[in-house]
Amino acid sequence: MEIARRLAQRPVLLVLAGGCVFLVVGSLDSSIFAQQTVAGLAQGAIFGSLALALVLIYRATEVINFAQGEMAMATTYVAFQLTKWGLSYWAAFAITLVVAFVFGTVVQLVFIRPVQQKSVIAVVIVTIGLFILIDGLVTWRFSAQLQFMPAPFGNSVYHVGSVAVSRQALGTLLVSVLSVILLGVLFRFTKLGLSMRAAALRPAAARLVGIRVDWMLAIGWGLAAVLGAVAGLMTEPTQFLQPTMMQSILLYAFAAAVLGGLESPVGAVVGGLALGVFLNLIGQYVGFVGAALQLPLAFAVLLGVLLVKPNGLFGRALVRRV
Amino acid sequence: MKAAALAVTAVVIAVLPFELSGYHQGLAASVAVYVIAILGLNIVTGYTGQISIGHGAFMAIGGYTTAIMSHDHHTSLLATLPLSLAITFVCGVLVGIPALRLSGVYLALATFALAVSVPQFALKFSKFTGGSNGIQTSKTVSHLWLYGVSWSCAAIALAAAWLILRGRTGRAFRAVRDSELAASASGVSLAIYKTLAFGISAAFAGVAGSLFVLATNGFAQPNEFGVFLSLTLLIGAAVAGLGSLWGVLAGAAFVALLPTVSQSVPLVGSAHGQDVAFGLAVILVMLLLPTGAAGLFVRIRTLRPNNADTTES
Amino acid sequence: MGMNRRVLAVVAATVFVAGATVTAASGAQKTDPGVTATSITIGGTFPLTGVASLYSTIPLAEQAYFAYVNAHGGVNGRQITFDVLDDQYDPSKTVPLTQQLVEQDKVFADYGSLGTAPILSTWGYLNQQKVPQVLVATGDSYWGFSHKAYPWTIGFQPDYPGESKIYGKYIQASMPNAKIGVLYQNDAYGKNYLAGLEVGLGAGKNKIVSKQAYDVTAPNVTQQMLSLKASGANVFFDFATPTASIQALVTATKIGWSPTATFVNNVSAPATFMHLAAANGANIDNTISSTYLEDASVPSEANLAGVKLGKAILAQYAPKLDPTNQLNFYGLASAWTMVYALQNAGKTPTRAGLMAALRSLNPAKAKNPFLYPGIQLQTSATDAFPIEQQILVKWGGGATGTWTAFGKLYNGAR
Repeated sequence: MEIARRLAQRPVLLVLAGGCVFLVVGSLDSSIFAQQTVAGLAQGAIFGSLALALVLIYRATEVINFAQGEMAMATTYVAFQLTKWGLSYWAAFAITLVVAFVFGTVVQLVFIRPVQQKSVIAVVIVTIGLFILIDGLVTWRFSAQLQFMPAPFGNSVYHVGSVAVSRQALGTLLVSVLSVILLGVLFRFTKLGLSMRAAALRPAAARLVGIRVDWMLAIGWGLAAVLGAVAGLMTEPTQFLQPTMMQSILLYAFAAAVLGGLESPVGAVVGGLALGVFLNLIGQYVGFVGAALQLPLAFAVLLGVLLVKPNGLFGRALVRRV
Repeated sequence: MKAAALAVTAVVIAVLPFELSGYHQGLAASVAVYVIAILGLNIVTGYTGQISIGHGAFMAIGGYTTAIMSHDHHTSLLATLPLSLAITFVCGVLVGIPALRLSGVYLALATFALAVSVPQFALKFSKFTGGSNGIQTSKTVSHLWLYGVSWSCAAIALAAAWLILRGRTGRAFRAVRDSELAASASGVSLAIYKTLAFGISAAFAGVAGSLFVLATNGFAQPNEFGVFLSLTLLIGAAVAGLGSLWGVLAGAAFVALLPTVSQSVPLVGSAHGQDVAFGLAVILVMLLLPTGAAGLFVRIRTLRPNNADTTES
Repeated sequence: MGMNRRVLAVVAATVFVAGATVTAASGAQKTDPGVTATSITIGGTFPLTGVASLYSTIPLAEQAYFAYVNAHGGVNGRQITFDVLDDQYDPSKTVPLTQQLVEQDKVFADYGSLGTAPILSTWGYLNQQKVPQVLVATGDSYWGFSHKAYPWTIGFQPDYPGESKIYGKYIQASMPNAKIGVLYQNDAYGKNYLAGLEVGLGAGKNKIVSKQAYDVTAPNVTQQMLSLKASGANVFFDFATPTASIQALVTATKIGWSPTATFVNNVSAPATFMHLAAANGANIDNTISSTYLEDASVPSEANLAGVKLGKAILAQYAPKLDPTNQLNFYGLASAWTMVYALQNAGKTPTRAGLMAALRSLNPAKAKNPFLYPGIQLQTSATDAFPIEQQILVKWGGGATGTWTAFGKLYNGAR
């Protein structure tokens, strides 16, 4: 009863709960439905992991980082180079996260800070420039050829009835959920997280209480780069290592981030999962949509949600002071 | 002063092609194409405050209109331009209506969705658009024709933009940008002016798109209108800055010519200098001139001796 | 090809050259653009960056071959300069770059440009300017069929419909109970492959029980593979470009689908891609494809003259390139053909001479060392497809395995 009352107060949760019920019923009823749903969740976890990075940057600095995917790709190449130099996969993973943090912080300090006060559009343009630059540098250094990296969770697949779930997909989902939890803990229970939230919400007031706002923004970018590196490493087993690996993912990650509400990490992951499942089910059951229209359809859904809920599923409605 | 500078520029542009090789005429024509598109984008984003990362979609609609009309109905190429203008104006208004509910980053992402989707529609409806094999106009044009028509259209576009922006409509746009609440409290209909801004800017982009296709040998194909085209327009508009028509020329020249120039940047062992150089250039320009070329021109103007009582900003 | 055809070809070529020479002589006395006493300049547009950048290794291999030729005296004493430009697979960039090559850099010919849409955007212009657009790197068949309307354009590789027609014929002959599921890219590339398969199956067209299209913007093809598995198909046709093809092979294994036969199109068959698929968990043994090139990744071909030559050239002039990536051998084979044609384009090469040489390729003389033994270069006045033969290959040995040719040489001709 308590749960039902809570659900009724938050219509979004109601809709999501209804969606889950639909998926479970459909999966029990039809084998192919179950397979497509599980595959959609696996793909959605990948969208969600990159969407997390986008959300973190937006929440910390109110910037849409067009270069997020390329930064994720570049840090994945760093891990690749480390494994080629003989490090084990997880050692390379750990070092890459550190490198990513430094990378993100440096990018914010060198490229974003000089313009962030002056003009919103200038910051967007700088991120576009970074996209082009990083792509060019990585292609120059590593060539456009496909490279091989060992998969973090191996190649094995679990079979539940006719449904196949790869270990990698489970691992990606786990990592995404873990990231959301860690982020939540960081923001709610640590002084650093509190400072970052203050710096994003009320920079002027935050300065007055002694928070180094500029450093908070840089750390925000550093953390987002770490999340991006994780996303890239989780994506690599299915997209393979090439400079273009994150480009199609980025498009869907945007959709997922906005769907979930640009300021909500939970929303990013939920948005990603929902998008992945939706695309697979549409592809399976709605034939006339065809392959070419899947991407527009994903965005149409996104726009539909925005028109009803302009701040996304989990976004907070902003109150505008006159 | 300004009229004289304008007249001189007009004469230079009119005479220039005869001094240039055909290939360079083509390059100069592409600058004109971007002038038109960036002008349109400036109207909706710079002057009315609605960010659009989707104007490549309107260029696609205009471009395909030209290609299809010429291919299927042998319409004269010049005649397809006003047709393209009308169709994209309507499309822009149609996009502007739901856009009323969105603002800021959400509007930007909605227009981004448009940019991503339109090429996919071109791919899907291949019976009309030729799909991945593209569609070809029934006639192609010489470099000189392209130069002449593009710069004439650019001149008309500049004049039209100037008239719109200095008049009541322009004031309404700026009011909407500066404060929607104040604007509507002063009786400016947000719905009308915001959708009008979208319509007008889309129309500009549509004409630019038609010329863009004509510059591509009259060949329209989905890959020409990818997301990157919209991002390039945004870069051009940012480099141009606000409030200066000269800035638009600078922004258009930047995005039209720099990739070609940076292609010959030698980087050891590869032909990838282009991307690295262009990316760096974009970043540097934004770091040094966050308000674009227009901002630079304003600063230059305030440095002149006549304005002795103005301090450097 | 009878004697008459050959005579016809020579006569046609002679008339072509004579006519062109007369025209040239009646105009200026200078050589065709791009040709000097010591050099020949050619150029091409390729996707060096962006969505199709996997193919960017091809022009690098071609440059390596030209470097090798230059080091050995060039073409009748002329050094080849090959300008490689990046059009990012976008026709709106291909056109100005091609105009730059023709009008600014004054190249002798547009060589090896890659991609159907880019070629379609420039073939009108190049033919109008009478600039050779030769050995274009795409398997669509338009160039072979349109040689009368576009005489200055010619392709190189066996075309996609011809290739899948061979697969269709093979199925009709040896798999009467096949239930076919097809994964194809939803553009002309994939659709043409599918059409060729249907032609090859002939009366057996209804063996195809499921066709699943995917878009290049899709991050993966899992949904399509699940649908194919659910359709009950026991033969899988993979008409996808390399990344999606590898995904398809990996996904097939991961979802527990083991068709009795899997066919991979030639473009996605290089051993490097197959190894990558296997390393990511795909079960690739007994996959069938086709080839027309020698393959440095096949141990039993290690002593073929072409393989030895190709490896040596790449090692010396492009050490960063992987010789086991057949795309590089494609580049070598194409570049060899270009050099052969340049050598036969007249004592002072002319554009008309180049086209004549390419339109009258005589297998007895144009012995391309990089082509699979038995496969020949041949063109004539009525045949504008330089290579039409292919041989089927089957994969064995798992993740460290290789392709082995089997069966007879097929002719994909119409």
